[in-house]
Amino acid sequence: MLEISDLCASYDGVPALRSVDFQVGARERVAILGPNGAGKTTLLKTISGTVGVDTGVIRFEGQDLHSQPPHKRVEAGIVHVPQGRMIFASMTVADNLRLGSHRSGAQHRHDERLDLVLEIFPALAGMLNRDGGALSGGQQQMLAVARGVMACPRLLMLDEPSMGLAPRAADSVFEGIARLLESETTATIVVEQRAHEALEICDRACVLESGEVVLEASNRALLSDERLAAAYLGSEI
Amino acid sequence: MVEFLQFLVPGILIGGVYALLASGLGLIFGVMRVVNFAQADFMMLAMYLSWALFAGGVGLDPFLAVPAVFFVFLLLGMAVHWLFIRFVIGRRENHDAQVILTIGLGLIFQNLILIKYSSEPRVVAPSYANSGDFIADIFVSRVRLYAFLLSVLVAALVFLFLNRSATGRAIRAASENWEAATYMGVDIDRTNRIAFGVGVALTAVGGSALVTFQSITPFVGLRFVVVMFAAVVLGGLGSVRGAFVGGVLIGIIQSVSQVWTSAAVKNVWVFALFLLILYVRPNGLFGKAQRAI
Repeated sequence: MLEISDLCASYDGVPALRSVDFQVGARERVAILGPNGAGKTTLLKTISGTVGVDTGVIRFEGQDLHSQPPHKRVEAGIVHVPQGRMIFASMTVADNLRLGSHRSGAQHRHDERLDLVLEIFPALAGMLNRDGGALSGGQQQMLAVARGVMACPRLLMLDEPSMGLAPRAADSVFEGIARLLESETTATIVVEQRAHEALEICDRACVLESGEVVLEASNRALLSDERLAAAYLGSEI
Repeated sequence: MVEFLQFLVPGILIGGVYALLASGLGLIFGVMRVVNFAQADFMMLAMYLSWALFAGGVGLDPFLAVPAVFFVFLLLGMAVHWLFIRFVIGRRENHDAQVILTIGLGLIFQNLILIKYSSEPRVVAPSYANSGDFIADIFVSRVRLYAFLLSVLVAALVFLFLNRSATGRAIRAASENWEAATYMGVDIDRTNRIAFGVGVALTAVGGSALVTFQSITPFVGLRFVVVMFAAVVLGGLGSVRGAFVGGVLIGIIQSVSQVWTSAAVKNVWVFALFLLILYVRPNGLFGKAQRAI
């Protein structure tokens, strides 16, 4: 579904991704792990088109994305839930969700998707008329994920859904994401610092370090191999 | 009391037109962070269009010409965005280019009109131009009342467009956070183009509301540019609602100050209020803390 080959990207001449090869199959869930500054967010941004590519090819369902502006990529079904939530603080929760359905393939399915996201994140149900900015951090993150789900994604990319959240709030966000991935078959990429939680909901992990892919393994292999776990996932596992 | 109201009511009426002029400027700034110094010259062009439609044999009433003016300037604004503005949007280092571009456009508009129509003042005087009615002992000029009602109606329609339509929602989203809007599949270039067109058209309609009591010259924009900018800053940069309220406030201050002081110094009072409000609320009445772009 998504095929990336020999991808290089940089910020002002400083390389951020070096010759990355990366694939996601239909219905596959892939975790991207790695330390801060490894290039995880940059990789997602090259896929959604908000960061340019120096060399290399990104194909989505066989189509080269090179000349596609970001909004065309959303039209194709690539939906990016960005780091830091980026909800529209001055707009209501309902309007935020409606913007999630902006994609032409999603507009007529708004009501049906709304039911789904409220099932996944019941906490949002009573807050539809509240301004996004009035929500707690955890609720804003739920809204950000829900907004992405509204778009009926074919490839959903979640960038650090637990970032900046208290542990309990992060847990409930992950519970929601787990419910989502149970009921939907969408291909999903999760970038996450909390490696263990990410692996629990994914089939496979890809570890980035200094802009390079240093390891690709199934979650089972990663979790069962103590040496790998210690080297790449930190001591928390 | 009646004397006071006799100043207050015209102040509110002209304030409604200022509000419309300013909300166009405010919309453009709010959505794409471009300070359009040519805004008042778009207003001037619209006044000449209303005059040409009225005096040029068609005899079209300036208030009835408003839909045509709106449509023409919507397209003109979108064309100017496509031809020029889109190339100077976004990066911080583009700010100088934005200033030079929009001031340059304004100068070109002024001088093209000067060449075509000379600097002779033009007036649009429909049959009812000097009539008015006493409403509860207060004299209300008919053209100013129409101008006010028109401004409120157009502002209400644009408010509905921004709040209820998918495109309007996308414009508001892009103005709050263009990157997040991009992730929703919003075509930023398109929303900017539409917002620039609508912003120019709003100010243009404000201009054609003015023609029945304001003579038209190629440099008439200079009379209003200060009011427009003051209204936008007063209301809070980036807030269309703020620009509207700011415009009404300025109209009221200009008019009511004449109870105590000469009309010649009415703008002194405007700037006194301007400084006072910015001292108390540095981001304007409805403004939020500015984000870096």
